[in-house]
Amino acid sequence: MITLYDFELSGNCYKLRLLMSILRLRYDVIPVDFFPGRQHKSDWFLKLNPFGQLPVLKDDDLVLSDSGAILAYLAKKYDETGLWFPDDPAITAEILRWHAIADDITATASAARLALGFDYDFDVPKAQAGAHRIFRLMDEHLWFGEREGRDWLCRPAHPTTADIACFPYVMLSEEGGIGRQDYPALRRWCDRVRRIPGFTIMSGIFPAGRALEQA
Amino acid sequence: MTLSLTDSTWYPIASSDDLPFRHVYQGQLLGRELAVWRADDGNVNVWENRCLHRGVRLSIGINEGGELKCQYHGWRYANRSAGCTYIPAHPADAPARRIQNRTYPVREAFGLIWSAANDDQPFQPFPGAETGEWFPLRPIPVNAAPEDVLAGLVTLAPDDQPADILPGLAVRLGAAHYFVQPVDSNRAVIRGLLQGQPEDAVTTLRSYNETLTKLRDRLERAARKKPAPEPLQPSFEQVSVDLATMPDIAIPRGNTITVVVKRKWASADGIIGFELAPREGHLPTFQPGAHIDVHLPNGLIRQYSITNGPGELLSYIIGVKAESAGKGGSKILVESVREGDLLSISEPRNNFPLRRDAVRTVLIAAGIGITPLLSMARFLDKSSLPYELHYFTRLGEHIAFRPELEALHGKVQFHTGLARPEIAQTISQTLGEWSHAQHVYVCGPSALLESVRVTAATQGWPEESIHFEYFKNDKVIDDSSSFEVELARSAMTLQVPAGKTILEVMREAGLQVPSSCEQGACGTCLTGVIEGECDHQDVYLNDTEKRANTAILTCVSRAKSARLVLDI
Amino acid sequence: MRRTMPPNFPIPLHAPNRYSPPMTTPDPLTLNSWQVIAALDELPPGLVERTILLDTPLAMTRDRDGLPVVWRRTDEETGDEIDPETIFDRLPVTTGYGFVWTSLGTPPTDLFPIPEYAEPDRVNMSCGSIGIHVSAPRAVENFLDMGHFPYVHTDILGAEPHTEVKEYDVEVSEERDEVLATRCRFFQPRAALSATDGMEVEYVYRVPHPYCSVLYKSSPEAPERRDVIAIFLQPVSEERCRAHLLQSMIDSTSTITELRRFQQTIFGQDKPILENQYPKRLPLDPRSETPIRADKSAIAYRRWLSQKGVNYGVIPVAS
Repeated sequence: MITLYDFELSGNCYKLRLLMSILRLRYDVIPVDFFPGRQHKSDWFLKLNPFGQLPVLKDDDLVLSDSGAILAYLAKKYDETGLWFPDDPAITAEILRWHAIADDITATASAARLALGFDYDFDVPKAQAGAHRIFRLMDEHLWFGEREGRDWLCRPAHPTTADIACFPYVMLSEEGGIGRQDYPALRRWCDRVRRIPGFTIMSGIFPAGRALEQA
Repeated sequence: MTLSLTDSTWYPIASSDDLPFRHVYQGQLLGRELAVWRADDGNVNVWENRCLHRGVRLSIGINEGGELKCQYHGWRYANRSAGCTYIPAHPADAPARRIQNRTYPVREAFGLIWSAANDDQPFQPFPGAETGEWFPLRPIPVNAAPEDVLAGLVTLAPDDQPADILPGLAVRLGAAHYFVQPVDSNRAVIRGLLQGQPEDAVTTLRSYNETLTKLRDRLERAARKKPAPEPLQPSFEQVSVDLATMPDIAIPRGNTITVVVKRKWASADGIIGFELAPREGHLPTFQPGAHIDVHLPNGLIRQYSITNGPGELLSYIIGVKAESAGKGGSKILVESVREGDLLSISEPRNNFPLRRDAVRTVLIAAGIGITPLLSMARFLDKSSLPYELHYFTRLGEHIAFRPELEALHGKVQFHTGLARPEIAQTISQTLGEWSHAQHVYVCGPSALLESVRVTAATQGWPEESIHFEYFKNDKVIDDSSSFEVELARSAMTLQVPAGKTILEVMREAGLQVPSSCEQGACGTCLTGVIEGECDHQDVYLNDTEKRANTAILTCVSRAKSARLVLDI
Repeated sequence: MRRTMPPNFPIPLHAPNRYSPPMTTPDPLTLNSWQVIAALDELPPGLVERTILLDTPLAMTRDRDGLPVVWRRTDEETGDEIDPETIFDRLPVTTGYGFVWTSLGTPPTDLFPIPEYAEPDRVNMSCGSIGIHVSAPRAVENFLDMGHFPYVHTDILGAEPHTEVKEYDVEVSEERDEVLATRCRFFQPRAALSATDGMEVEYVYRVPHPYCSVLYKSSPEAPERRDVIAIFLQPVSEERCRAHLLQSMIDSTSTITELRRFQQTIFGQDKPILENQYPKRLPLDPRSETPIRADKSAIAYRRWLSQKGVNYGVIPVAS
């Protein structure tokens, strides 16, 4: 049985809800009052994750934390197609690299969002500038990907956990005052992610319209 | 050089590749934000990035193929015209007022999308544009003043080959043309074009990308050292007074439009299709179920439903029944109007609005009655809403618009050659028992209408879930009342006795009043009401318009009050 | 309570995004009204907390009796220890509905009433204070709006195809000087977790303060009584506000965490809409936007703001 310790407005928690929705996994949710209750710093939560960070996922007796690590775990354990976190060493490395970039996006775009929306004392201009630097590089990567027949962040012809890991805080960036007007290829990729079968929304992210040719 | 909000130069604002299927691109030109989207017919729309209702950016909305849907309240705006076709909060009403978003001129050429702040200048390709094939580079947004970006591009020229500055913030450097899109006073996008398809496209693109990225970094470093110029402050245009007030319903009298008969063909045995195109640009926004008045060469006016799908405004397609024994009306269209002829039509009107809030929509047509239902089916089809269409004809060769119907994805059933009892049985089975949010729309001969109404009623369908349209007023007119009419502008008071219409009394008093069908169906004699309560007996005004009590058809309708004051 | 970072960064509420809007001197009504600035139980006793109200930096803390103390901030930083007895130049302060309210002028004795709040069996809670990049009146207007339920709160407060906003009543109550919308009904596909069929839910909306709104809806647990949800907006600047959310519920089964999660989910869905609205100040000129019948409450609200002469967070009608 999978249990997710979850906060609705957290993009990192959403990464797991998104992958579990795509993989059609059933799971329980234990809501954690991250804001304003700060339950992620409470004693009971620190016993689950001493770093005091969401999300935490329990699979029977196994307790895991860090969204990127859990994405890899869920894909390796439950994705029978093996597509979301392929075994190939080179692709694994590619995905892990994007997981790391996803953390950089959290440290910039998500930090700006926390500061403007949730009163965190972060340096907003610095966080915004950092996010723009990453978005520029992503836009370039994705733009050339489109020219080379690659729709996703990594080489395979299908999405991987790299796309899931990077998506939420890109999509929520406007809440941190970071517009995406200058990143058309990134905006198109956001549409593609939102059209993955099994996609689910979170507060702040709207679904994309249908794009099937027959629509 | 200072940027001006009224600069009428055409600038590139996107690459063609930026507009894939069902995407909405967010752009900006001279401070104004743009929502740019390609409809399924290939047309590119460049609109102000703001829904007229509550000011929400349309770039977060949904491209439905023929309409753009606002994310906030689901308002739909039509391809080409940007006219509002549907307001979900009031699903039973056709938007009575002409709500139209601000659009900008657009041209797709040389792999780029071009636009301008206004219509003051026709599109002019850059010198030499027409001579070759063009290959767009990756656009590079730069946080620097557009004129500084242009100056920076000029510095890329090798010493022996000076840059060739072109009009409109553009420059030619050897094989490359660069256009600077003035996003705002301190932001720009470099859009490059190469002549001809390079041998190794990606390598070439990467090489230009690297050069331009370095230039961008240099320009941004320099820009950070300068004081940032004030951003442009475009203002949002005000909506019309008509749109600003909510309560009263204005019934558009509409202007007539001259159209060309672009195509005339036999759509089925006994049904002629007409494609009516404007002489330039596109036709006005219409809603599914809408009709136009066609002014016939012999002075008569007849109504025909528009069969088009969402956002199809380059022409209207109507179907006309070739009545062998018909007198006057359709016969003239069928027999004497030819391709290339000019006709006058009214702006579209909708007395048969389609609700898009149903869990099940049943469309039932017979014969020529297919025309409004074809349009409805096309709208539902594009939005992937559930519907079924049942089309009754006596013979297979009587099926009009067959290819168009077969192109739909919903459940479309042809019922051919059924006897009356079988038709009744099919209708009964099709309708089934009513449950919440089911609606049926019927169009065809009065026997069919009657059959559907009776069957639906006995199977629990409430009146408001059964929709049909009259083109003829079959109602028995009750002209037993007598009352007084005051003609406000003519300063005249007249007595209308039982047995006479307001129209007749006005004519007898020497007034020139236009009319056509004189049975309350065409709307030609529509007159404003200032005071008094109308006794509407027409089939032209819809229920909301009737309730509004602001206009009357003087050919059939009367007064419930003792006195009626008309704006005439 | 809310900090995880050292308090040496400036509060970035004015991070220049595109341009700084013109600073309006607030009208007398706005200056002399009570304005919300914090949830009382999130304000730490003896430690400094900062905020901004009407472009004015403020500092606040709680004294030994737990009462809030608010003053114009000079160089105090968040988390500084402070003895409230040393603060002499204090702004007026009151507490109400679990929140701290202050005023830059001379406020009235009482805050507007929400009588239900005092009922002993209610679960009252704040649901967090969330910053939004839009003016306070835009956020109020969105709170009054039902037409967006199927599009923005899909499958929670509404769902396509059930999009109709039925006729409802709006009045400006002379006696209480507030906008009141009644008989507001909307079809919800799953009004309660147990429901399989949809049902129509009825709401009453009040706007008792230019930047505050209260909604009532029948409680699933006690259908004859009504749950109360309120939004109190702190006008930080002309184009930014903080939404302070209150729930006062008849609910004996849900936890506070669950109830907060529900409210935050709803508000989190409104946020991207509000932050994509232009202009960010609410235009009061009727020709700025296109109202429909469903917008009756919004029209009444805009007129009421105009009549009261509110000029902060709005674009007044050009005279």
